[in-house]
Amino acid sequence: MIHEVVFYAASVWVAVLVMACAVLVLRARSTASRIVALDMLVLLVIGLLVLWSDAEGVPYFLDAALLLALLAFMGTLAAARFHGGGRLF
Amino acid sequence: MVAAPLLAASAAEVAISVAADALVVLGIVVITLGVVGAYRLPDVYTQLHATGKAVFLGVIAFLVASIASGDGAIIARAALIAGFLILTTPVGAHVIARAAYVRGEPMRTPGALDESGNGLDRPDGAVVEEEPPDATRDEPVRG
Repeated sequence: MIHEVVFYAASVWVAVLVMACAVLVLRARSTASRIVALDMLVLLVIGLLVLWSDAEGVPYFLDAALLLALLAFMGTLAAARFHGGGRLF
Repeated sequence: MVAAPLLAASAAEVAISVAADALVVLGIVVITLGVVGAYRLPDVYTQLHATGKAVFLGVIAFLVASIASGDGAIIARAALIAGFLILTTPVGAHVIARAAYVRGEPMRTPGALDESGNGLDRPDGAVVEEEPPDATRDEPVRG
């Protein structure tokens, strides 16, 4: 029983961290810093989905987390390369 | 593990459950430190330490903790996500750092050293084509 309590409390705390990270995205000092904060935001959302999946005991949230990881990697790559070189590939 | 009564659970199940809780708490601590680091650290190059190591390893701890569920579908997906993150997070961090360096992002960390000679470790940090003579600094290593 304490198992579920720990996982739900951790989910709530990670949700708070996601909000803090969104604030960090908004007030980043430079574009590269903003890309870093967005990357961290997606990592936190992945962690939130993993925790929620464990708390509920269903695997479907992990599909969303996997898809988010794939998309976030491509997004980070595209944004960083565009910021650095002015073109994508 | 669907809320089994604690007395009916075997010792191994209790141990695995407690280990999962400990991993979740550890991941929470590490992720929180990573977010605090992203707030506190002064420039992109040091912020990448916080996001690329601390937050990433915290999420990996969550994924390892999900082994305790005992559900094959959850474990397989968690292993897939962990492997993908282990492969892609260093690549993403490297690409971001390279982009920041190419764009001349200043290094605001005290004691930072830019060995390329572009002067990114100056306080103003602008990329200068021809460096003005500066008697108070050692000549940067070229090449």
